[in-house]
Amino acid sequence: MTLGLDADDLNSCVQCGLCLPHCPTFRVTGDESMSPRGRIKLMREVQDEGAPLTAEVLRSFESCVQCRGCEPACPSGVPYGHLMEQTRETLADQKKMAPGWQRLALKPLKHPAALQAGTKALSIIQKTGLVPKRLGLPDDLPFRQEPLVASGDDVYLFTGCVMDAFQRDVHQAGQRVIEAAGFGVTPTGDLAPCCGALQAHAGLAGETRSLAEHMMRSLAPDTPILVDSAGCGAAMKDYGHLLGTDEARAFSARVFDIQEWLADNMADLPTVEPLDLRVAVQDPCHLRHVQRVHLATRVVLAPYVRELVELDDEGLCCGAGGAYSVLEPELAGQIRDRKVASIDRATPDLVASANPGCSMHLAGAGVPTIHPMELIDWALTGTR
Amino acid sequence: MASFLKSAASAGSAAYDSFRRLPGRKFEPAETDQLVLDLQAALTEDRVRNDSAQRALMSHDASVFDGGNAGPVCYPETTDEVVAIMKIAERHDRAVVPRGAGTGLAGGAIPLGDAPVVIAVTKMNRVLEIDEDNGIAWVEPGVINLDLTNHLKPHGYHFAPDPSSQQVCTIGGNVANNSGGPHCLAYGVTNAHIMALEVVSPAGDVLQLGGLDPEPLGLDLRGVFVGSEGTLGVTTKVAVKLTRNRPGVRTLLLSFSSVRDAANTVSGVIAAGVVPAAMEVMDARITEAVENYVHAGYPTDAAAVLLAEVDGLESGVDIDADQIRAIGLANNATDVRLAADDTERALLWKGRKTAFGAIAQIAPDYYLHDTVVPRSALADVLEEVYAIADRNDLLIMNVFHAGDGNLHPLIIFDGRDPGVLDRVHQAGAEIITASLDAGGVLSGEHGIGVEKQKFMSRMFTDDDLDHQNRVRQAFDPVCRANPGKVMPMGHSCADIQQLRAVPRDVWG
Repeated sequence: MTLGLDADDLNSCVQCGLCLPHCPTFRVTGDESMSPRGRIKLMREVQDEGAPLTAEVLRSFESCVQCRGCEPACPSGVPYGHLMEQTRETLADQKKMAPGWQRLALKPLKHPAALQAGTKALSIIQKTGLVPKRLGLPDDLPFRQEPLVASGDDVYLFTGCVMDAFQRDVHQAGQRVIEAAGFGVTPTGDLAPCCGALQAHAGLAGETRSLAEHMMRSLAPDTPILVDSAGCGAAMKDYGHLLGTDEARAFSARVFDIQEWLADNMADLPTVEPLDLRVAVQDPCHLRHVQRVHLATRVVLAPYVRELVELDDEGLCCGAGGAYSVLEPELAGQIRDRKVASIDRATPDLVASANPGCSMHLAGAGVPTIHPMELIDWALTGTR
Repeated sequence: MASFLKSAASAGSAAYDSFRRLPGRKFEPAETDQLVLDLQAALTEDRVRNDSAQRALMSHDASVFDGGNAGPVCYPETTDEVVAIMKIAERHDRAVVPRGAGTGLAGGAIPLGDAPVVIAVTKMNRVLEIDEDNGIAWVEPGVINLDLTNHLKPHGYHFAPDPSSQQVCTIGGNVANNSGGPHCLAYGVTNAHIMALEVVSPAGDVLQLGGLDPEPLGLDLRGVFVGSEGTLGVTTKVAVKLTRNRPGVRTLLLSFSSVRDAANTVSGVIAAGVVPAAMEVMDARITEAVENYVHAGYPTDAAAVLLAEVDGLESGVDIDADQIRAIGLANNATDVRLAADDTERALLWKGRKTAFGAIAQIAPDYYLHDTVVPRSALADVLEEVYAIADRNDLLIMNVFHAGDGNLHPLIIFDGRDPGVLDRVHQAGAEIITASLDAGGVLSGEHGIGVEKQKFMSRMFTDDDLDHQNRVRQAFDPVCRANPGKVMPMGHSCADIQQLRAVPRDVWG
């Protein structure tokens, strides 16, 4: 059967295997079917050789975190992320992946009011201790959140779906920092309820396309769009590829990770006493491997903390992967164990992570995480 | 004669001829037979895989050769489990194929013949012990080469052999292939860094070969095993020698307007008595592909670049670096650049070490050759290699360990072009002939595998090969371990076995 994959993309893999150690699922299993090289080989077997779509082939595709750590490791530039997204889209269309309950679970993401209400409800249930641990939710879901208020129109701050419901305080910190650098901020709020990243991961590209088109219609042209969630930023920077139009490419070109943008616009940030902390930088995969702007996090944090320390695992995934930690708790846990060991070796006071999924997943293992914007805001305002 | 042998022997030849298109391999479920049940009982169910996807993946390594159907794929975690696998395979009269990361380039890890049991050691990946006093570490075979070096960093040591695939290849694979790498120029190849091995023989015996003493007594069976490409058994523990990190390192990048000038510089440096840690040459085409990936500032307008590294005491490395610079300039170097810091050095090496993978930017298939010629013949043989490419209407790039004369002509092509495989084979044979005629050898570091079997008799006499066969049979009387590899058909273990065939079960 065809998986709808571009033959040249598929052939661009020479099976050299240099990707293997950069793949979190291969790292914890040692199993070729859980490696990028193995998955591409199976895509070829299915699409080119007529191999049947067995349970093990599906398992190989499903187990991918889609961290795309293999892409920067690939000397031939194989577009692995797009191959995997297309594979999942084809299989989801045929109802071989992304079962109904998953589709249903993703529905509320584009309805901010429902999400807020749901979060409020969850925060109450959480007090009763009835929320299962495997969901990996933060310990202290907010019951009430202050609304975000526009302060000008120099930049948009993309607020998104789950993050706005769970971690609006990160948006608030980010907005204060950007304002302190001398810019007026418009939070996107209901204008752009969801970026569609989780839907794209699940193979529901149709949903992502309609969310992308909605967002492009809603936001004023030319204004930079800052994103403080690495996963959302990566998805929005990919709209050009997803929709294939000049308009979408132009939109993607004005999407910036908030650290990336601030690194070039921080001249007017006040000079303050750095926080007396040793901070480890955890690079979210979609910041490091997909957007490839992770170095900016160091640039913006350096003046505001006593010491920045690098992890020794070359940016290997933490296992969060959007909904991955919920769908694949066992693999996600093993991958997280590696990350936690690396963090332990770095002996930090705090771990800075620029992606809500990573920080929730790591917090689930007791790692003290904080968003880089919260750290800078803390240094600037003196309060956490 | 064991049935697996005959089929393995002919399959090895078929794999060589077919590249990635071995006919007859089918993606179909295998029955869960008694062999699988026995293996699952000895390991665990989830570590013995018999599904079609898993077995299809095992038909490949990083070479262009396609194996046949793999049998059950085992992921042992202990020596005892490897012993059990060997004994069960023997009971079921099935061959075994050891596998590390599957990054070999000579087809050493592909299954041949009647669905051999694959022993994948990727889960045996612990560093067991670091003995700084004696400069030795005991590791399991599935430890990744670069992981070991990173693990040793806080102790001030590294593992010296650094194949280009070091970020993924395993120590077990390094032992099997006696792997080299850029820095083996000064430090020697894997064999020089293995003190002792624990191996499981094809009969399931656990042997320790070599020892931690500087001069172990008895025959040096460790030396026999290193480089035996999985034909003598499976490595389960390795005592590696640790190499001290040197305080001073200088990395130079020299540009040339001809490959000959670069090759002559290499000969000149060695003749002057300098022993650099590494000397690597890349020609213009490969440099362009590499630069496109790493953006390390490799010159894309030079006909060849020479990456030279010296290490040692701080006070000495500048003298060596100056001498290399002077020899380069005397051989018409157009530019000499010194890496400013560790970041720049790392980036330059990243480019060199990912060169082979980078070629898919140009064509989807590559065939990487591996021969060694005397340094003094480098320039002449290289010119001949380019002429061979022209004669066969092929594109060849050259990237090689110049310091020890180890050539890696890289033929790139699109396997979908009709007739191209014949020309690729023809060019390969001509390159080997040119290297041997210049006084060189068949393989520098990739091994023989299924790739160079046909050429073994050009290198060795019948008596040489017969004695190699006898050594192999001392370990493995029926050639159960990785059959169909290394020894050429006319002299193979299989054929000798056939001549002296003893009916199965004759010994009970």
